[in-house]
Amino acid sequence: MKYSMLLIALLSVSSLIGAEHIHSPDTQAMKHIIEKTNAELAHAHAQTAEARAETRQAQAYLAKANATAEQILKENKSIHISVVGQGVAPMNTSSPAQAYALAKRAAVADAYRAIAEKVKGVRIDGQDLIKNMMVKRSIIRTSVKAMVRNANVVETTFKEGLCEVEMEMTISHSDFVQ
Amino acid sequence: MRSRDGNDNLPFRLCSIILFFSLTLNAGEYLISYKYIVKDAILYNETMNISHAMKECDGTPQKELILENTSDGNLKKLISKNSEEFIDYIHKLGLNVEHNEITSNFQNSSTTILTMKTTCFKVDFNDNFARITPLK
Repeated sequence: MKYSMLLIALLSVSSLIGAEHIHSPDTQAMKHIIEKTNAELAHAHAQTAEARAETRQAQAYLAKANATAEQILKENKSIHISVVGQGVAPMNTSSPAQAYALAKRAAVADAYRAIAEKVKGVRIDGQDLIKNMMVKRSIIRTSVKAMVRNANVVETTFKEGLCEVEMEMTISHSDFVQ
Repeated sequence: MRSRDGNDNLPFRLCSIILFFSLTLNAGEYLISYKYIVKDAILYNETMNISHAMKECDGTPQKELILENTSDGNLKKLISKNSEEFIDYIHKLGLNVEHNEITSNFQNSSTTILTMKTTCFKVDFNDNFARITPLK
C-alpha cells in the first residue's frame, strides 16, 4: 500500500514535471513574443514622437513662411500699409523751423517712395566689372515709378536734424479696377 | 414791376440772375503744377506753377479745399499764405513718385522726384474764404 501510494505520488510528480516541460517552450515563446511586441511598440512610440516633432517643425516653418509671404489683394478686401520715411535737414538753414520744414518734406518723399516700393515693387539692375580676378567696378541701380494718393501722415518726429514721418495707407481692390 | 403777361415773379428772377452772375464772376479756373526733388534725403528743389487757364477746363469737381481768404482774389498770395495746408491737400490728391538710386562701389546716392501733373482747379473767391476744387 505504501509503495503504491509512493508510486502514485511519483507518477503525479513526474506528470507535473512533464507538463511543465511540455508548457515551458510555450511560455518562452509567449515571453519572446511579448518582448518583441514591446520592442515594436517602443519603436512605434519613438517614430510617432519623431513624426510629431517633424509636424511641429513643418507647422512652425509654414507659419514663418505665411508671415513673410507678400500679401495678395483680393476682391472686397483691403490691405493696410505702414511705412516710415526719413529726411535730413540741410546744413545751411536760417532757423530750426526751416530745418524742420525741409527735413519733413524730404521725409515725406522718402515715405512715398517706401509705399511705392511696397505696392508696386522695385526694378533692380546690377553690373559688376571684374578684371584679372578683381572687382574693378560694381554698380547697382534701383528705380521705382508709381502714383500714390490718399496716404496719411500718422506721426512726425524730429531729433538731431533727422525727421521721421510715419505714414499709412489703406488700399483696396476697387482702387485698381479700371 | 409786372411783365406784360402779368408775371409777378419777374423782379425776383432778375435779382437772382444778377446775384448768381455776381457770385460766379469771382470764380476762376487755374492750372497748377507742383514738383519737388529730394536728393540723398535732403530737399533739393521745390517748384509750384500757378497760372490762369487760357481756355475752359473739362472735368467734374473733385474733393474741395476751403481756405481762409484775405488776398482779394489773388490765388498766388492765398496759396503762399496757406502753403502747408495746400501742399498737404495736393499730397492727398495724389503725386507721381519717381525714385532712382545708384550704389557705385558701395557708395549710395538717391534721387526722389514727386510730381503733381498740371491740373485744372476751379477757385471760388468769397468774402471770407476761397473754395478750391480740382477738375478731373
